[in-house]
Amino acid sequence: MSEENKYWHILEEFEPIKDARMPKGREEVISPSSRRNFLKVLGLGTASAALIASCKRPVEKAIPYFIKPDEITPGKAAYYASSYFNQNEFGNVLVKVRDNRPIKLEPNPKSVITPNGTSGRVQASVLDVYNINRYQHPLKNGESIQWEAADSEIMERLRQLADSGQPILLFTPTIISPSTKKLISEFVAAYNAEWHQYDAIPMDGYREANRKSFGTDAIPEYHFEKADCIVSVGCDFLGTWLSPVEFSGQYAKRRDLHNGDGNLNKHYQIEAGMSLTGSNADLRIRAERNDYGRILAYLRNKLAAKKGVPATELPAPPQAVAEKLDLAINDLLANEGNSLVICGDNNPDYQVIVNSINQMLGNVGRTIQFERTYNHYRGNEKGIEKLLNSNPGAVVVWDVNPVYNHPESEKIKAAIEKAPLSVALSSLPDETTALCEYILPSPGYLECWDDAEYKDGVVSILQPTLHKLFDSRQAQETVLTWLKDDTNWRDTIKSNWAASYFPKQTEQNDPERFWIEMLKRGEFVTSSNPVSVGYNQNEVEKSLQQISNEKPTEDFTVELFENINIGTGHGPLNPWLQEVPDPVTRIAWDNYASISPAVARQMGIKNGDVIQLGTLTIPAFVQPGQADKTISIALGYGRIKGIPEELITGVNAYPLATVENGFRQFAVSGFDITKTGGFEQMALVQGHQSMEGRPIVRESTLDKWKENPAAGNELHEQIKHHHTTLYQKHEYKGHKWGMAIDLNKCIGCSACVLACNTENNIPVVGKKETARAHEMHWIRIDRYYNGDEENPEVVRQPVMCQHCDNAPCENVCPVAATNHSSEGLNQMAYNRCIGTRYCNNNCPYKVRRFNWMDYTGADAIPNNRYDPANMTVDLSRMRHNPDVTVRAKGVIEKCSFCVQRIQEKKLTAKNEGRQLLDGELQPACQQACPADAIVFGDLNDPNSKVSKMMEDPRNYHLLEELHTLPSVGYLTKIRNKS
Amino acid sequence: MKKNFEPAGCTLLIRFTIFIFAFFCSISYPALTFAETSQTVISGGHSKEDINRGKRFFMGLLPFESKHQSCVSCHNLTATDTLNWNPSAMDIALKYAGKDSASFRQVIMEPSGKVMTAAHQNFDISDADIQTIKVYLDQLAITGPGIPKPSINRLLLFLLLGILITWALLDLIFFKKVKYKFIPALVFIGAFGYQLGMLYEEAVKLGRSQEYQPDQPIKFSHKVHATDNQIDCMYCHHTATESKTANIPSTELCMNCHIVVREGTHSGRFEIDKLVQAHEQGRSVEWVRIHKLPDHVFFSHAQHVGAGKLDCTQCHGAVEEMHIVKQENDLSMGWCLECHRETQVDFVDNEYYKTFEALHKELASGKKDSIVAADIGANDCAKCHY
Repeated sequence: MSEENKYWHILEEFEPIKDARMPKGREEVISPSSRRNFLKVLGLGTASAALIASCKRPVEKAIPYFIKPDEITPGKAAYYASSYFNQNEFGNVLVKVRDNRPIKLEPNPKSVITPNGTSGRVQASVLDVYNINRYQHPLKNGESIQWEAADSEIMERLRQLADSGQPILLFTPTIISPSTKKLISEFVAAYNAEWHQYDAIPMDGYREANRKSFGTDAIPEYHFEKADCIVSVGCDFLGTWLSPVEFSGQYAKRRDLHNGDGNLNKHYQIEAGMSLTGSNADLRIRAERNDYGRILAYLRNKLAAKKGVPATELPAPPQAVAEKLDLAINDLLANEGNSLVICGDNNPDYQVIVNSINQMLGNVGRTIQFERTYNHYRGNEKGIEKLLNSNPGAVVVWDVNPVYNHPESEKIKAAIEKAPLSVALSSLPDETTALCEYILPSPGYLECWDDAEYKDGVVSILQPTLHKLFDSRQAQETVLTWLKDDTNWRDTIKSNWAASYFPKQTEQNDPERFWIEMLKRGEFVTSSNPVSVGYNQNEVEKSLQQISNEKPTEDFTVELFENINIGTGHGPLNPWLQEVPDPVTRIAWDNYASISPAVARQMGIKNGDVIQLGTLTIPAFVQPGQADKTISIALGYGRIKGIPEELITGVNAYPLATVENGFRQFAVSGFDITKTGGFEQMALVQGHQSMEGRPIVRESTLDKWKENPAAGNELHEQIKHHHTTLYQKHEYKGHKWGMAIDLNKCIGCSACVLACNTENNIPVVGKKETARAHEMHWIRIDRYYNGDEENPEVVRQPVMCQHCDNAPCENVCPVAATNHSSEGLNQMAYNRCIGTRYCNNNCPYKVRRFNWMDYTGADAIPNNRYDPANMTVDLSRMRHNPDVTVRAKGVIEKCSFCVQRIQEKKLTAKNEGRQLLDGELQPACQQACPADAIVFGDLNDPNSKVSKMMEDPRNYHLLEELHTLPSVGYLTKIRNKS
Repeated sequence: MKKNFEPAGCTLLIRFTIFIFAFFCSISYPALTFAETSQTVISGGHSKEDINRGKRFFMGLLPFESKHQSCVSCHNLTATDTLNWNPSAMDIALKYAGKDSASFRQVIMEPSGKVMTAAHQNFDISDADIQTIKVYLDQLAITGPGIPKPSINRLLLFLLLGILITWALLDLIFFKKVKYKFIPALVFIGAFGYQLGMLYEEAVKLGRSQEYQPDQPIKFSHKVHATDNQIDCMYCHHTATESKTANIPSTELCMNCHIVVREGTHSGRFEIDKLVQAHEQGRSVEWVRIHKLPDHVFFSHAQHVGAGKLDCTQCHGAVEEMHIVKQENDLSMGWCLECHRETQVDFVDNEYYKTFEALHKELASGKKDSIVAADIGANDCAKCHY
């Protein structure tokens, strides 16, 4: 750890708040132990023990299949290629199916888009299928109805409306499925309907700007792996922007120092609120949200001046920002053609400027390519305008929820209620479906057939991996029925593929075999040719003019952003996503208004104080690095309809958004902060896990690293010399498992946390328990700040069980429930654990988790059950990985290095009579990591990737001075400050 | 979570009352259900006399003109602990519950299978008698065979000992009625010792079920299949080498042979008919599970049969000799570990074990003469518990 870095963990380290570490409500469960309580427990214990012991072995049935399907081997997983798509989330996945139940999603390594990782949301989506809140049968005005009756009524009324010329409006999110698009166009033609795509957070401004600049409304491919210099203005491309999983992989490739060439990219982030991307930047420039336009104009004009292009004088951004921008400009000029400038605002004027900058720098055609453009984000405002301004005869909503996520919510609500016919084809209840007359539920995506063309020429398949759980019907099949077409939807897709893609390939000469091959591979890629686009700079002047009209304001600007876990509002139903803390603030289960420390101090606001912003009442959170005049609020929270009470959290911030010139804007000025005097306890998971200023994250700069690869890690060598022991060392005669984590590549997206949740049956404990430090995640991503509170640097560190060779936990267990395996694992036998928690106390890394209550329903005593999120109902329990014990109350659990996977892969190798290959064995976290930051393998094999990383001079161990000898190594973070 | 406990004191007393109540319920439950079922309605307008007559006929209590044995001597009424290949009265009752007495008569008097033909040879029963048997069986199908009275179980003995202990203690401390102190003291020591012994025994057995040998819905004999007909274990349990479970054959797999084989050597047609019927109805046979490890144990057949090349009998015993399968071993952890300490690994031939360089050296230097499973970590906790 370099001398000058002073890390701090939470703001309270500057200004300690009295009860920061002891949230209220703790006394509720742990009441003082009195004689009476003791007798109560004793009585209950004796009675239940006696009853349980007197039970006879119940007669259990073993029921085989009637006809065993060939593809199912009981006790063995099968994998099916499929895809996940939702808003900005796309993933080609392999669905792991055990005994007919999908239980885990893994990245499809053959995919061209997302070969090496998935997002956290993809990982969590398996739980969406087993959601008890789904519509379970068709409804009319809230009453159950038969499919045939509903269909004939709707068809008749649609026909009447079509004949009388009243508009029929169909709202969908962006559809990227070529077959579905074709089907909808048939529907539109048959019923004279209008089809509108609607996105909760649209990118129509980008498309409009590209139309003006390049003559095409396509959203191009961005190649972050080719960019030596990235300048991002408020664009969270690693978290939520456009295609974050893809970009994370590309970005991390350029943060890789392990190959030794030191060719790091340089990343400038100009932003108001601290985003995930901003917290990874080499240089984060703090700027006000409503200065973005002026900043872009400044960048453009400065660059134009240097390139000799005529520039217009504009009001400059504040001096402090401008000075730092000059650094970025120099770097951009030094990397012409290999740089990338992006902006995260939907304002087309801003995007026109961005386009002109990239064009000037020669990036178009290099880091920005129009070869395989993105097909998602096709939504715009036209549909809503039409809905509000015409008197529609019928409104059909299909997985869109404008009543919740459009600023004109009330008017939309009135319009839908007024429409003579309203039909919902969604699978989950929400604010919009609640208004609809008919609800024809569709199943979850793991029960559906579909295809998806996420990027031009890359077409993927979605295939069902589960029988329909409820009486649902895929929306496409519903439309087919309305079209009186009795082909089934799968056959429709199949014939589309035979007609569209079969002729474009030569490998297979039979359409049937081509289809089967595609089902196996999951993806078809057509050949592509470079596309060059023209450039038109006429609009730039107009856009600059628009920006010059913007004036800096004295009041507060609210910036609404998409949260990486909750997304646009699908997430709240998924307790896994709710429980993963935000990677920056480390708060779970809530949204809040982030305000800067200076403002907080000035107004006397502390974390959790409820403030009033216009119509919005929301708790405040003091966020280091936040711009003073900007308040950031996450979208997607505050869903009410169709959500069980326990999962209703946060505040809906969508009503604050505005529509300007036909484009939705998520930054709004003109707010004042008023304290309401209220207080809300937030589930902040960081304070109680502070590592108290020890050299736990080590970092250096690129220049220093080039001189000395061990820069910032000098301690490692010093400490190594002090290691000595009187005891015998463990012997590892076969494998010795180890893990290396490259802190330079970890972006903190939390995909690993969610992958671990899915794989290891991690329980959900709810907001109250999370606030009391009872969360159960086996892997956490610690976040530390370094520097001043105004604009600190951020470092992150994923921490899981370190599997120490000298494990402090092992020595103190009175019942030997945790001990060392012959392969270097610190193993944990749950059935042996009696819950003394000595191990937990003795673990310096605080990675052991205790089941304070029965969160899973595994306990024999029903009174122990604590289930805040419906995770113990039978349907939710279907998600469990049958290869991992579901833990009951009173036992410790922790990361096992996914020992079930180790066992499985070793067995495969044994059965095939070969040695294990390096990289064959991946724990869930490594497998899901889109940035490739985690490497697992055999340390006894000197040629394995993990061994080589452990040899890297950057490698160190967490708290290595304690001589715990962890099997997990960290590679120092290197910032590019040259 | 606060509603766990009752608000006021006296909790121990309440708990104790609940415990005693639950205890007596558990004992009296079978008796109650038996009492209830014997009062059910009578089917098909038959009188109680008809049924009783049929019952007496079935049990051979009526003057029986035939020289043959009574029905019950082959078709047992209650569960037996010895193997009876013939269908039980209940089995027959259920099968013919929906059929008329003419077809029932035909089956008895003109049997089709070899085994039954031999057994029912020269039967001479009047139609009226057959009618009464049928009436009785129809009634039996509704009421069930009745549950035998529960024997005094160990819990009762345990409780009795508890009372003795209490008496002995009370006498020793308070009443002091018995002149010789050593008598209550001895009673106390003896009773308490016996109780401890029972506790220990029960605790060790808890969750284990060695010798468990339940009746199966079909009298399926592994001896007939594996020994007499030489069918390989892996024909039916074919996933044992590749999966965690060994696979219980599907109805369809049984029918591979039984599409032709319709009569068994011991049980005649009756048992196989159950399978055929299940197949016709598209049902699976609901077998009773015998071998079961606790949920926190991950046992893989693929590891032991596939990679380890163990013989099935090593854990399951000589199943091929069993007419009714029973659990041969206690499947305790000690039993697993013991085997791991003795079983040699295919260390040289299987390329996988090349990874264990240190052990290969020990083997070459003669430090070890063979490698057993425990040497490669088979007895680590996390090999089975995760």
